[in-house]
Amino acid sequence: MNTPVMTPVFARDIALGQRNLPSREQYDAAMRDIFERRYYTNHGPLAREFEARLQRFLDARHAICVTNATIGLMMAFDALGVRDSALVAAPGNPALRHALTWCGIEALTCDADIGTGHLSIDHASRLLAGRKPGALIGSSLWGDACDAAALCRLGELHGIPVLFDSLQAFGSTVAGARPGAAGRMEVFSFGLDDVLYAGGGACVATDDDALAARLRNIRSSYGAGAPVSVDKTSNGRMSEAQAALGLVSLDRYAGRQAHNRELFEAWRDRLAGVEGIRVIEPSRVDVSNHQNLVCEVDADAYGVTRDELIERLAAHRVESRAVFAGAHAQPLPGATRIGAAWMTLPLGAHVSVADIDAICNLIAQTSVERVGSRGAAA
Amino acid sequence: MMDKRSVADLALFGARPLFDTPKSTSNLVQPPLERFLAYAHPGLTAPGSVTRQFEARLAAFHDVEHCVSFCSGFWALAVTMVALALPGRREVVMPSLTYRRMADVVAWTGLLPRFCEVDAHTLAISAETAKACIGDDTALLLGVHPIVNCCDVEGLSELASQHGVPLMFDAVESVYETVSGSKIGRFGAAEVFSLHASKLVNGFEGGYVTTRSASLAAKLAALRDGATLERGAIDARLDDTHAAMALANLDDLEAQVERNRERYLRYRDALHAVPGTRLLNFDESLKTSYKNIVVELLDDWPLPRSLTIEILNAERILARAYYWPALHAKPMAYPHVATELPQTVSLSGRFALLPCGDFVTPVDIDACVALLSFMRQHAAEIIARAESREAA
Repeated sequence: MNTPVMTPVFARDIALGQRNLPSREQYDAAMRDIFERRYYTNHGPLAREFEARLQRFLDARHAICVTNATIGLMMAFDALGVRDSALVAAPGNPALRHALTWCGIEALTCDADIGTGHLSIDHASRLLAGRKPGALIGSSLWGDACDAAALCRLGELHGIPVLFDSLQAFGSTVAGARPGAAGRMEVFSFGLDDVLYAGGGACVATDDDALAARLRNIRSSYGAGAPVSVDKTSNGRMSEAQAALGLVSLDRYAGRQAHNRELFEAWRDRLAGVEGIRVIEPSRVDVSNHQNLVCEVDADAYGVTRDELIERLAAHRVESRAVFAGAHAQPLPGATRIGAAWMTLPLGAHVSVADIDAICNLIAQTSVERVGSRGAAA
Repeated sequence: MMDKRSVADLALFGARPLFDTPKSTSNLVQPPLERFLAYAHPGLTAPGSVTRQFEARLAAFHDVEHCVSFCSGFWALAVTMVALALPGRREVVMPSLTYRRMADVVAWTGLLPRFCEVDAHTLAISAETAKACIGDDTALLLGVHPIVNCCDVEGLSELASQHGVPLMFDAVESVYETVSGSKIGRFGAAEVFSLHASKLVNGFEGGYVTTRSASLAAKLAALRDGATLERGAIDARLDDTHAAMALANLDDLEAQVERNRERYLRYRDALHAVPGTRLLNFDESLKTSYKNIVVELLDDWPLPRSLTIEILNAERILARAYYWPALHAKPMAYPHVATELPQTVSLSGRFALLPCGDFVTPVDIDACVALLSFMRQHAAEIIARAESREAA
């Protein structure tokens, strides 16, 4: 694009991610407590408390806290003994692909529904007619949820275990329950990008006692329940510092969710007036954590491509990113469209409604300028 | 105070333990809170900034060009193995008398552990012990520094270059040491360290890799950030809070080493008086952290090692067997090269780690050694009583 030299709209970087960090006072109090106790890691009192709180919050029999989400996913696959291949939607978290690769599991890539961006159950059924993967993995993305009930029916029909990548779905509910409650296991992430921040940690939730025991032994915490035999351990412990940050963040969850919702509504309302931009609204959840804002750029109607818009926003210090739609060999029309046209915009603790107003003005102007320059050329 | 007068006073037989709080082999060193917070605060507004500061500081500390941080030493090892392994080859040549999860690390990478003997003097892999295991399928040579002093860095480096095999070091136990006038951290293609609370530099949890190679550092960072879909990619970043803890502890490192040295000398002097034990001596001609206390239970030590440790543990002295069982002797559910290593098996039965680190005072050390002495003097009665306890 022929952008003239200009001053960025923002004097600071507006980054992606939730960035739900504690206040300095909360941080200092949490750390002072650890320093007094001098217990730093290995399933300490705070890790145990955090697990108990998460179990109540998620209504899960077990929440096994781990150091990060990728390792949580790897532990889940290992605990379940997933072999050969697993069905996943093409769009999703790169962490899921990483975890599959580490576990030697091939991703059997399924197309996504172009409306919601989530796994297409129709395409999944067609794929399962010809192959039997070791697991079906549903990813709940961008504050919405995949069709877990339909995926579980498919799993039952074909005798394949179902588990859920709910890395982005903490706090969201479907029919009053956590999004992947119907599966064998569900992994949540607590990093900077997520609504709950626990120093980059994560947890694996399950209602299955035997799987929980395996997970605890794979994690290799000391003194965390009865030893059971596992193929290999993973060193996936959550430290007391991570657990302390998680507890602080959990106390603040309702406020964070309300802030996210306010920002989400601001985005939706402002962008409704911009032709060619469609906000992807969570549709399957009854409550969303609203931790992401995803929109689709129709380049024909908007006048500018998604990638041009990302570049333009970056020039004004606004971070945005193309949605990861996965590497896939076979043609997947839904995923291809999402990979070319969908993007995420900033939404988090560091973002205000006024910021969103300013970014939306920028987005509207970008379209007008482009259409204007085209008109001038013609 | 060691106040055991008769065998019945031992906690193993129901008496009150010698210590109220456990004395462990973990360091658990703690910096001043205010210093830790000062390092941590920038991370609350600029996430990632503390970790970058940590990497620059550690590169300077190890006198090496690059440092790449990780969420743990375990995953730092695994990612580095994937990054370095020769394509198309499968075996990692490594010692069996080492970190109990090392074979699991290799298993995650999809490579095969190929265990070699260790040198009886250093208790570590050496060029001599590794040589026999190097072959057409060797993807990587893994040198591991032992708990006291260092492995044969020069010999292993020469062996690796002779065979054109990449060499990496697990340097978890050798953060502070030097060999041949250079800091550990500069050797091989890469060296891997841990920030677990039990280690010399307590960062709660965490790890890092040092390397002189800019291209390897860039590759490791991309894999660690999960910024690629290549094999080995894993979002396994070090959290700012963990980095801040490590930074604050680094500030105190020289003083800590001095405290470690005092503990070590106290053990050395006291253990002289206990026949049947031999303290592994630090090589004081080189820089060393004096952190870990390892004793060999000699042939004239009158109690089995397992019972010795059981008695100590009951007194809340959390002594541990040194790398037992050896890795090759444990059942493994994953592919590996099966082997027999008699020297390793024999050595794995002889050593024990005694309490060390920040919770251990000179008085504690005297009490531990006095207890060992008491155990030696009453060995026959202890064995008889332990046997009758088992029979009951």
